[in-house]
Amino acid sequence: MRAANRGDTGAYHKLLTAITPVLRKVVRARGAALGPEGCEDVLQDVLLAIHRKRHLWRDDAPLRPWIYAIARHKVVDAFRSRGRRVELSIDDFAEGLAAEPGPDPTQGRDMEKIFGELEPRAAEIVRAFGLKGETTAETAARLDMSEGAVRVALHRALKTIARLRERMIE
Amino acid sequence: MRTQDLISALAADTLPQPPVIRQISRALVPAVAVSVVAFILFWGARPDIVATLGSMAVLKTLGPLALVALSVAYALALSHPGVADERRKIALGGALLLCALLFVVVFAQQGLAGLAGALSTPSLLVCLLSVPVLAAPLLAAMLWGLSSGASMRPRVTGAAAGLAAGGAAAALYSFYCDKDMVLFVLPAYSVAIGSVVLAGALLGPRALKW
Repeated sequence: MRAANRGDTGAYHKLLTAITPVLRKVVRARGAALGPEGCEDVLQDVLLAIHRKRHLWRDDAPLRPWIYAIARHKVVDAFRSRGRRVELSIDDFAEGLAAEPGPDPTQGRDMEKIFGELEPRAAEIVRAFGLKGETTAETAARLDMSEGAVRVALHRALKTIARLRERMIE
Repeated sequence: MRTQDLISALAADTLPQPPVIRQISRALVPAVAVSVVAFILFWGARPDIVATLGSMAVLKTLGPLALVALSVAYALALSHPGVADERRKIALGGALLLCALLFVVVFAQQGLAGLAGALSTPSLLVCLLSVPVLAAPLLAAMLWGLSSGASMRPRVTGAAAGLAAGGAAAALYSFYCDKDMVLFVLPAYSVAIGSVVLAGALLGPRALKW
């Protein structure tokens, strides 16, 4: 995290990848009623929050309690609002039903809705980094922007996404 | 979008985010300017301001300013998850208790008649209205700055922001206010600042959502 806050993309990627399985377990333990997709949405909310609030972590403080504090807040928030429209899974009633070949369990739903509301170019940039794994230089060349502009656009897009998701939860 | 893809997008965003304190200061610059200009235009300092600042009445300014420092420190701690806020809470609580204690002591000396005498002046209404008006831009700036933090207790954090804004507004107003009796200043300023605290507590959950 220390390296991440200094701008080390590789270290940050590694950190987020490492904490995700733990967080997924926490979210699923609490929200079995949301189904795997709903849980993945909450997990993505938590990751976004960690990202948006990473400057609040102090270099000399232990990281684990900080991440748990952020995660707890987001999880409680998510379940409080989503709890109002509890989605009961069919599995609860029909155990005998043959399991369908479900969609990718790490696929969230909310994000696609958000992309629809996002400015096309912002959505394109987030997709470029996420789905296509492009580097800043590649995206910049393809969209005919400067690298600095791409960085700023990505930063703003993630900020907007976080805000839109908050509004969705309300 | 798969979580793994989200992680890639997040990791690519390496722009540093400014610390909360810097966001607050940035927002406070125009807010303080608005309040001070409004004060100069519509209130103005009392004529004997220089003599006042050399007397005990300077506490009318310094007291609220001390509350500002303590409540900003507390609000900042509340906005950083995992940062201990106990000490700052005790410091702030102690300062408020000290004010209450001072009031009780003076009230015991002068009694109800003294209190009624001190408060039966048109200045009371002026004070109760002026401080919230001067505090409004400051409260907005505080809440905006704190919203870049992550408060687990937005209502308390909002109240602390209100105390800071109200305290600063009271300190500003004290340059105009020509009533120096303890039995006027303590209750009137407390109620005026209290109304800003209440506003902060009401706005907090909405403004500090994250």
